[in-house]
Amino acid sequence: MNDLALSRLAEAAASPAPSGRRRRRALAYLQAAPLAFVFLVFLVVPLVLTGIVSLWEYNEYAIVPALTLQNYADVFDGCLSADLCTTVRTYLSTLKFVALTLAITLPLGFAIAYFLAFHIRSNTVRMGLFLLCTIPFWTSNVIRMISWIPLLGRNGLVNDTLRGLGLIREPIEGLLYSDFAVVLAFVHLDTVFMIVPIFNSLARIDRRLIEAARDCGASGAQTLWNVVLPLAKPGIAIGAIFVVTLVMGDFVTVGVMGGQQIASVGKVIQVQMAYLQFPAAAANAMVLLAAVLLMILGLTRMIDLRRVL
Amino acid sequence: MNQFPRPSRRALLKGAAAFATTPVTGFPAVHAAEPVTLRYLGTAVNQSADIARKVKEDLGLTIEYIPVVTDEVTKRVVTQPNSFDLVDTEYFSLKKILPSGNLAGMDAKRIKLADKISSVFTQGEVAGKKIGDQGTAPKKVFYLEGQDSKKFAGEQTGWISLIPTVYNADTLGIRPDLVNIPVTSWKELLNPAFKGRAAILNIPSIGIMDAAMVVEATGDYTYGDKGNMTKPEIDRTIKLLIEAKRAGQFRAFWQDFNESVNLMAAGETVIQSMWSPAVTKVRAQGVPCTYQPLKEGYRAWASGFGIPKTLSGRKLDAAYAFINWFLSGWAGAYLNRQGYYSAVLETAKANMQPYEWAFWMEGKAAEKDILGPDGALIEKAGATRDGGSFDQRMGSVACWNAVMDENTYMVRKWNEFIAA
Amino acid sequence: MNVELIGLTKRYGTAIAVDAIDLKVPSGAYCCLLGPSGCGKTTTLRMIGGHERASAGEVVIGPKAVGDAAPSERGTAMMFQSYALFPHLDARDNVAFSLKMRGVGKAERRAEAMAMLDLVQMGHLAGRLPAQLSGGQQQRVALARALLTGPKVLLLDEPLSALDPFLRVRMRVELKRIQTELGLTFIHVTHSQEEAMALSDLVVVMNAGRIEQASDPRTVFERPATAFVARFIGGHNVIRLPGGMIAVRADRMRLGAEAGHAAMPARVVAVEYQGTSVHVGLDADGLERPSEGSAALTAVLSDVDFAARPLRPGDTVTVGWDMAAAHRLDA
Repeated sequence: MNDLALSRLAEAAASPAPSGRRRRRALAYLQAAPLAFVFLVFLVVPLVLTGIVSLWEYNEYAIVPALTLQNYADVFDGCLSADLCTTVRTYLSTLKFVALTLAITLPLGFAIAYFLAFHIRSNTVRMGLFLLCTIPFWTSNVIRMISWIPLLGRNGLVNDTLRGLGLIREPIEGLLYSDFAVVLAFVHLDTVFMIVPIFNSLARIDRRLIEAARDCGASGAQTLWNVVLPLAKPGIAIGAIFVVTLVMGDFVTVGVMGGQQIASVGKVIQVQMAYLQFPAAAANAMVLLAAVLLMILGLTRMIDLRRVL
Repeated sequence: MNQFPRPSRRALLKGAAAFATTPVTGFPAVHAAEPVTLRYLGTAVNQSADIARKVKEDLGLTIEYIPVVTDEVTKRVVTQPNSFDLVDTEYFSLKKILPSGNLAGMDAKRIKLADKISSVFTQGEVAGKKIGDQGTAPKKVFYLEGQDSKKFAGEQTGWISLIPTVYNADTLGIRPDLVNIPVTSWKELLNPAFKGRAAILNIPSIGIMDAAMVVEATGDYTYGDKGNMTKPEIDRTIKLLIEAKRAGQFRAFWQDFNESVNLMAAGETVIQSMWSPAVTKVRAQGVPCTYQPLKEGYRAWASGFGIPKTLSGRKLDAAYAFINWFLSGWAGAYLNRQGYYSAVLETAKANMQPYEWAFWMEGKAAEKDILGPDGALIEKAGATRDGGSFDQRMGSVACWNAVMDENTYMVRKWNEFIAA
Repeated sequence: MNVELIGLTKRYGTAIAVDAIDLKVPSGAYCCLLGPSGCGKTTTLRMIGGHERASAGEVVIGPKAVGDAAPSERGTAMMFQSYALFPHLDARDNVAFSLKMRGVGKAERRAEAMAMLDLVQMGHLAGRLPAQLSGGQQQRVALARALLTGPKVLLLDEPLSALDPFLRVRMRVELKRIQTELGLTFIHVTHSQEEAMALSDLVVVMNAGRIEQASDPRTVFERPATAFVARFIGGHNVIRLPGGMIAVRADRMRLGAEAGHAAMPARVVAVEYQGTSVHVGLDADGLERPSEGSAALTAVLSDVDFAARPLRPGDTVTVGWDMAAAHRLDA
């Protein structure tokens, strides 16, 4: 469609006559259709299929169409007893990582975004620094996986340096294959997902608001707390949604950095897929989906997303 | 291009040359017609470019590798049987694959060297001596009742499930420089002396069998079949693992080949479940590593070629031709030089130097430097192979990689172990 | 409190935005900084308010030079162009913001804010967010917020430019009322001479970073110091005579028989009816047009005079002025 046709359409859309309004609505649906189609085919249909499969029975080599809640019962097997069941344990472990990762990426991401938005004047420099933030993604997961050992391992760079400085005698084992290592990797990978939306929010703040706050006698910290932070809330919420979803669904990072010793929901699903237990994996996926949606729902209550986007 | 392209003169000449030099003959059909491409599904470890190049030279066949991880091989065979022409999979996954009806029994009459295949597969014997058959021992699943049968035959029939490609006996790898007590038993894996320096692999069906080897080594319990545990046996084994994990015995669990190499080479672990080529790779980095034979024996595995039921006509002929070529010696020698064992030892021997054969298969000290198939130095002259000769190693197999009847339950308990 | 600028200068790199200006604004005065965009008036205001650091020179507020003191320490408050209300706070909390920063308790600061909102007649909309208020209402809130800081000098940056003409006139009256009631010094930046005339005690006409003239509105209008001022203020004919430039108010032009001894022949090029008066555009030989599209001279006649002797474009008429009405310009 060329510009002329578009502008004519826009004119038609702007016309207040009833027929024009109808046409405008039809046009709006038409414009939304491609995305709706993509969503339908690549999101809704697979989800519905997953939901259906989660109700099927299975054996070693086949899945059998049926209607059973056994897969869900298996997911929560033993959860009613006093001892925590595997599922609850796994979720608690994952939630712990969500909380820790958020607690670190949020202030860190905010600080970096603030620096980029308010202290960097040149767009070129800003772009360059943004690119710096994406460095963790320049290498493949495999390379990163391999390179952690020489850095954090028992005889790695960090331990060697600390020993060389005489700060420790015995190497710190917990640097690798531990909760610390997992959180470190999450922070390393996910902070950029916090930076970008927060930067976006901060960039929209009218600089005169900062001056107005200063004019009203606010100190730097007061301006940050009373003006910048509330206005960055949408970005923070979106960044938090990114981080929550990434951490909740992750099993590669937890696996590699936890030395496969730390459970994650994604890993459970992956193992079940590998053993052809698709319905069990589907049931787990549905539970995970519900958990993530609940968390996102909680986050979106903080803000009116539609007003922001 | 016309409809029936004639082979070029050069191809014909090349073909003739191949005929002249190839010891096994009798598949001219493949050469006469349009070149055939076989889609070869398997794990990357077994998919050597050298083999593909050699078979192209010898038969004019193009091999197109589809490399995936072990579990994915099984999944593909069950869910997408038309996405490959030839599969190289482990014998234990037959218990999952065969009931899907996607694999065809192979006609033993069309496999020229069928009766020369190692007795490990056909009788479960090495040098006339019965070997351990716990788990999915290949002899239990080697023959099928009929071409389209979904049942394994306990005895020899004319239909074979998988034609062996490689097999080996797995044990623990150790760092002799960092382990200062003699390691002769599987129970050392959980010896508190190695606290925080041990690893097992995070593949439930294999990991639990290593754990079972430990349990039996401590003398606490003897399994009916380590490769097919009952629920209480699974519970008991997982309980032991959880206790060890909570006590901080494990540094990590590894999931793929490279992880196991890195853990060992970096000294993160000093004792762990390992695969033979991984030990070779650690040594190639100049780090001492021993594939330690243990008195309770080895956990063995084997994989082989299967063909999908839908394969027919020239592709089917080509698949048989390729398998026959594979057994005819060159490939066997190639695999033996990597430290694996090949299906037909006689033909492989004919393709190896006597000193190589003596080192790899007879457990003798190397007369000369031992080179890998790629020409890299593997062992200096004078070295001997860990575990000794073929007869010693394969003769000491205690159990085989397996899929248990209680697989679902086992996987669930394994997840519990990981979450503990 | 009186405000004095001494040699105040702002440079951005090599560009000079404000060029060493001197100005005295007496306490309680309503001062307008008037000029075209880019003349340095807003920069001057921001330097007074402490939002821009002066490259040289001093701002003296009351008894002392304020140097680099923070806005709240100089006793100034600023009303920003487009108001800069905090979008996440309602009107009341916007107004109470400065009290919150000072740590005043919630109940107390809200009560004070309500009182201030009542002063600007916004008490009934205290709970609305800025996005829910019209431009005029936002402006009242911004005014209330600025006033609540208790300033001695209120700085207003183009406060009326975003309003429609009707509202602009009403707010003008309002601003003047509040300024008079509170007795504060107001410094108001505008590019509208009408606004400046209506509001100020002191009009400061700026051009290219310098002050062209700073006087009471009547003086500026009666006796513009420069051709720039005369043209910018409007209502004047700037005429280049052999002896120099003079300015003659358009309503002091004489046509026809009354043109007197200095009369010259001119062509009528435009006639605009304005109700109480009629503007007649004239071209004469030897006089340049001040800009493309406007006539060389404008004569403003009362509607009665025009009706007695109507003119039409194309007519030729003699034009002149009282010597007393002619004002010699500096440059």
